[in-house]
Amino acid sequence: MPGFSSISDLAAALGRERYLIDEGLATVVYLATRLGKPLLVEGEPGVGKTELAKALASATGVPLIRLQCYEGIDVHQALYDWDYPRQLLQLRAGGNTPLYSEEFLLRRPLLEALAQPNAVLLIDELDRADDEFEAFLLEFLSDFQVTIPEVGVVRAQQPPIVIITSNRTRDLHEALKRRCLYHWIDHPDLQREVAIARARLPHVGQTLVDQICSFVQDLRWLDLYRSPGVGETLDWVQAFHELGQHQLDPSVASATLGTLLKERDDLDRIRAGDLDAAVARSMQRAQEFRQRNFYQ
Amino acid sequence: MRLGGQLPQSTPDQAVMLAAVRFGRALREHGLSASVDAEHTFIRALAEIDVRERIQMYWAGHASFVHAPDEQPIFDAIFERFWEGRPLILMEGGSEHGESDARMQGSHHGGEALPQFGGEANTKAPLDGENSRGDRDIPTAEGEDGTSNQERGVLAAWSSEEILSQRENLQYQSDELLALRLLAQEIKRQAPARRSRRAHSSPAGHRFDLRATVRSSLETDGEAFRLGFSAPTLRPRRLLFLCDVSGSMERYSRVLLASLKAAVGAARRAEAFVFATRLTRLTKSLDGRDLEQALEKARAAVPDWSGGTRIGAAFADFNSTYGRRGFARGAIVLVVSDGWDRGDPKILEEEVRRLQLQSRRLVWINPRPMSVDQQPLAIGMRAAMPYIDDFVPGHDPRAVAGLAKLIGGLASDRPARKIVPTTPLEY
Repeated sequence: MPGFSSISDLAAALGRERYLIDEGLATVVYLATRLGKPLLVEGEPGVGKTELAKALASATGVPLIRLQCYEGIDVHQALYDWDYPRQLLQLRAGGNTPLYSEEFLLRRPLLEALAQPNAVLLIDELDRADDEFEAFLLEFLSDFQVTIPEVGVVRAQQPPIVIITSNRTRDLHEALKRRCLYHWIDHPDLQREVAIARARLPHVGQTLVDQICSFVQDLRWLDLYRSPGVGETLDWVQAFHELGQHQLDPSVASATLGTLLKERDDLDRIRAGDLDAAVARSMQRAQEFRQRNFYQ
Repeated sequence: MRLGGQLPQSTPDQAVMLAAVRFGRALREHGLSASVDAEHTFIRALAEIDVRERIQMYWAGHASFVHAPDEQPIFDAIFERFWEGRPLILMEGGSEHGESDARMQGSHHGGEALPQFGGEANTKAPLDGENSRGDRDIPTAEGEDGTSNQERGVLAAWSSEEILSQRENLQYQSDELLALRLLAQEIKRQAPARRSRRAHSSPAGHRFDLRATVRSSLETDGEAFRLGFSAPTLRPRRLLFLCDVSGSMERYSRVLLASLKAAVGAARRAEAFVFATRLTRLTKSLDGRDLEQALEKARAAVPDWSGGTRIGAAFADFNSTYGRRGFARGAIVLVVSDGWDRGDPKILEEEVRRLQLQSRRLVWINPRPMSVDQQPLAIGMRAAMPYIDDFVPGHDPRAVAGLAKLIGGLASDRPARKIVPTTPLEY
């Protein structure tokens, strides 16, 4: 597995995957890979928590194994299960392969991550799982080995890089946090957001990207119920592009605002406000931003 | 690349380790849960980064010690001092006078001339508590006061020293408080539950369980004589308390929360918030110490304690932060307030509506439904009323007892919810 020799090396490798990482997060990810500790990432929806794991996997050229958590998830969905229909068939056919052997074992994501020589394991939205599952995971994360009674101990030769994400719908247990490195991802600033949009949507014109990012940055200052994330900014840029727009435009903005804001009250509020003035302001800011960047 | 949990090849030198441990201790002193594990992580991290780079040091420490965004200000403040080699521990005696000592000590330690690796063991300066700069620029480990209050416990609610505002001319009868205790007991006896998505094997269940069937057919030579079934497990439903603590409501809320502590503490599925004009979360599930701190904070946030509550603003606060994170989803939300709202009733109406939409059930306990101040009270309460599923007059012990029964019974079936009127209210 290609490693990262330094923090800047890691940032460059992720940049090639079009994931622009800031120095804080880069340091933490670098440490997670070096120390072999899981990384717990929290942040508003749409700041790129899941993307981080994806980019990390492709930057290191290893498979990404994803475990999406949900309420009621248990060992049989996360770790392993037995292939019951095949077991039943085998029973009825009177074959002599032992029923509880590797042959009938179904590998779920966690077991898969142990079996792979190298992997990035993404445990997504852990806060949705219940306390019991969290406790189980704690054990898994501390030794990277599991015991399957009928088969024996499965141990990872090379523990995977583990990224855990949470939306904080409930507080995770202190013991789990202690096992992990922690990072809170914030919304990016204008410079970074423009860079991200440019990297992700290289076919879209610079002016449009600048203007839309300025507009979104302004929106985040308002006290909205649900501030737009980077994901939504990208959608909105894409929407303008698909409609053949090269500039931010009040009427198009109003029509496509649903790409950006997902709460009716937020939509009403922005549409009821002076959208023309807001758009003009953003265009002005985008121009200033471009000039500043040009001279730098 | 090394991925495993091996120890770093280069162990950081003694001075660095000492400094890291001291740093961890200082964070602990200021209320962060910096464990020995975290210190260990930090020390290992230091071996991997360039310790002369402030930004790398910062993020290494941040990743090791900080576990929630709200811990960051404390971390930042301590890190600042750590980096500059100033004394870290700011007990009553913490002072800037030890500063020069720390720097001098620093260069004595093996190899590291950086100030943050200096010793600060000798820096416990003479007590000059209140005017120490350090005490002011660091958010204190909340609640040095809390401890003393905690000893007084619930009795504090009865203290006659409390300055009574004009709203407090109404006394709570022992009946009302007794009713609260009964409520707590009842909730403890019959905790509200909900069906979880997890299943357990149960002969009485309705879901076919292939796993259990295969297992049991092993005993009968592969013939599935007995079919296995499973049923969903039950787990405690989240209870969410939003307690008004302005003016006279403080006593009532305090007694309520104190009596509920035992009842809901065990289930670990309760969250409590107190509000006057702003919302404060009682973090560690209704802990007595937290309660005092939160009341303290709420008090500090209100310029005019007796001036009434902005319930709408407090709910807006909840809806846009915790509510969005899903705290009220599927929860039984209990609002404890007299509905004395000084804000815009339109805002209150809107926010109560949102709250109802998120919750499984919205219950409003009002200990003073028939107050002497009918007029201002009526407006807030009237705005909220259409969205309240159950309105409980808190002064009536029978009503409170009925509430306990209702909450207990919400496990599987629930009585019809309030239907929101189509015509807007007039104020």
